[in-house]
Amino acid sequence: MTDSQSDAAIAVDDYAATVASVVGGSVEPAVDTVKVSVPASGWVSALTAARDDLGLVFFSWLAGVDWTNDVAVGDPPAEEVDQRIEILCTVADVTDGRRVTFSTSLDWENPVIDSLVAVYPGANWHERETAEMLGVEFLGHPDPGHLYLPDSFLGNPLRKSYKLLSREVKPWPGTVDVEAMPGVDDDDAPATENPEA
Amino acid sequence: MSDETTTTLPDDTETIDVWVAGTEEPARLEWETAATDEGAQKMAVEEPEARLREQLGNVIDDDYLFDEEAADDERMLVNMGPQHPSTHGVLRLQLELDGEIIRRTKPIIGYLHTGMEKTAETLTFMQGPTNVTRMDYLAPMHNELCYSLAVENLLGIEVPERAQTIRVLMTELNRISSHLVALATNGMDIGALSMMLYGFREREQILSFFEKTTGLRMNHNYIRPGGVAVDLPPGWRADVEVILETLPSRLAEYDDLLEHNPIWLRRTVGVGVITAEECLAYGITGPTLRAAGVDWDLRKAFPYIGLDEYEFDVPVGSKGDVYDRYRVRVDEIHESIKIVRQAMDRMPKGDYRIDDRKITPPPRARIDESMEALIHHFKIFTEGFKVPAGETYFAIESPRGELGCYLVADGEAKPYRMHTRAPSFTNLQALPIMMADSLVADTVATIASLDPVMGDVDR
Repeated sequence: MTDSQSDAAIAVDDYAATVASVVGGSVEPAVDTVKVSVPASGWVSALTAARDDLGLVFFSWLAGVDWTNDVAVGDPPAEEVDQRIEILCTVADVTDGRRVTFSTSLDWENPVIDSLVAVYPGANWHERETAEMLGVEFLGHPDPGHLYLPDSFLGNPLRKSYKLLSREVKPWPGTVDVEAMPGVDDDDAPATENPEA
Repeated sequence: MSDETTTTLPDDTETIDVWVAGTEEPARLEWETAATDEGAQKMAVEEPEARLREQLGNVIDDDYLFDEEAADDERMLVNMGPQHPSTHGVLRLQLELDGEIIRRTKPIIGYLHTGMEKTAETLTFMQGPTNVTRMDYLAPMHNELCYSLAVENLLGIEVPERAQTIRVLMTELNRISSHLVALATNGMDIGALSMMLYGFREREQILSFFEKTTGLRMNHNYIRPGGVAVDLPPGWRADVEVILETLPSRLAEYDDLLEHNPIWLRRTVGVGVITAEECLAYGITGPTLRAAGVDWDLRKAFPYIGLDEYEFDVPVGSKGDVYDRYRVRVDEIHESIKIVRQAMDRMPKGDYRIDDRKITPPPRARIDESMEALIHHFKIFTEGFKVPAGETYFAIESPRGELGCYLVADGEAKPYRMHTRAPSFTNLQALPIMMADSLVADTVATIASLDPVMGDVDR
C-alpha cells in the first residue's frame, strides 16, 4: 500500500467518524464502504441531518436484508446472527465525492419504520420495493402498495423463509444427475442441493 | 401458488362501470377504481397537496405551462402500454390528460420482474455473472463488471493488469453500443426513422466483436470474479481499429441528420426538463443527471479498473432537456472512443485472469496433465469458492447511470444477499416530473431520452 493510499484510508475513517458523530450513530465495518448504523427511532432525523448538515443531498438507493438463521433458500449464515431486518440507505455528496451507507435494525417479526420520502423523494419506489419484498411497513409513505408484484400476491419474496417456487418444482439442473449407485437405497444417495426435491 | 391468487379485489375498492362524459364526474379519488387484478388502475391515491406540487416539479422553464385548465369533463385517464412500441419493453404509463396536456403520469412497472435478487442467493459467486448479465440487457458487460468487482472487493484480490485493461476495453465498447441504441430509438420515436437503421448498423459491428470474443452477442458472462472468461481473440486489434475508424464519420452523419434538422430540434429542445436539484433528490444519474449540468461520473468520482489513469472528459449539458441528454450521449461516445484507443495502446501482456486456482479454473492444458488441476476445476464448477464474511457496496458508471451492487457474504460459496442499485429503475421514477404539463406527443421523446431498459427496471 502506498502512502497516498493509506492516507486516503485514514481520511475515509475520519470521515466515517465525523458522519457518525453528526447523525448520532456508530461506524460499522464494511469493505470499502462508509457504513454508519443509527437507531431506528432516529432514522428520519439522522438522514435529515445527513442531507442538511453533511450535504449528502444525492439519494442513491434503499434496500433491506433479512438476517435470520432459518433459511429456505441458499445457505444459512456460517455464523449465528441476530434475527433482525436491516434497512440500508445510501446517500452521497456529488460535489465532494463522498458516499455513506446508513443502516438500522428493525424487529424481525414486525418491522416498522418511518418513511424517508419527505426527506428524499427518490426513496418512494425503493421503499415500496422493500415493503413488498421484505414485509417492512413504512409509516407515512404517500403511495404504499405493491410495486412489482400483483396486488393479490401473498408473501414477501426476499424473506429468507420464502421458498423459490421454481426450485421447489424442479431442482437445479445438475443435481438431478446425482443418482444412487445400483443396489444402493435412494436414501444413501449423496445429498442433493435441494433435499425436498 | 394457493387459491388466494384468484380472490376478488380488496374490500375497500369500489367499482364504477362506465363514466359518461358530460354527466356528473365522479370525484377524483374514485378514479382509483381497480378494474383489473393488478390493481394498478389507481391514479390518485390520496396524495397531499404538497406531494402533488412536488410531482409537478419546481421547473419554471418547462416546455408548456398552461394557466387555464380544461373543463373537468375533458380530463381523462389514458393507459399507454405495456405493449406500446415506444415504451422500450413493457412499461405502462397512466396519463391524466387535460385535452392534449398531460397533468399527471403514473408509471406502472413489474411486468418483467423475475426476482433476480432472490435467484442470486441460490447461485454461487462463480455463477452470479450469468444472472446479473440479464438485468440491463443493453449493457451486460457493466452488470458483470459491477458484480465481479463487488466479489473481488470482498475477496480482497486484485486482478492482473491485462484483465483490467480488457475490462476497460469491453465496457467502453459496450457503452458505445448502448448509447447507439439510445440514439437510434430516440430518433425513431420522434420520427427520424433513418436514425434507427444507422444506430443499429454501427452497433452491429460492436456486437460482432463481442460475439467473436465471448461467443455471445448479448448476456456474455464474460467478465467474472477473478478476471475475464477468455483472452481477446487473435486479430482483435484490427477489429477494434475498424470500429474506431468508422464511428467518428458515422457520428458526423448523425449530426447532419439530427443536429441541423429543425424538426428534431423543435421536438427535443426544452422538452422533458428536469433540474439538477430534482435529479439529486430523486437519485437520477447518468446522462440525465449530466445533461442537467451536474458533473458526476463514477469513473471520475470513484475510479475503478484503473480508469483514473485514462484521459477523458465528462460531457455535461446545461438545460436538462431531451436535447441535452441526446448531446451528452453523443459526446460520451466520443469520449469512450478515446478510452478504447488508450486501452488498445496500453494493453499489457500477461494473464487475463488471476492466477489463484481457488478462484479461477486452471488452464485447459493443465487439466490433462495434473490431477490437482482437475480437482480444482471440478470443485470450482460444482461447489464454487467461498468468500469471507463481510459486506460491500460497489458502484460503477453504466451507460444509464450509477449501477451498484450491495453484496453481503456470510463465509459460504453463495451470497447471503445481493441488492442491485439499478439506474433505469431509479431514473424512471422521475418520469412524472419531466412529463408534467407537457404535450402527449412529447411523452415518447421524454421516455426515449431516459433510455430505460425494462430488464434493469424490474429485475
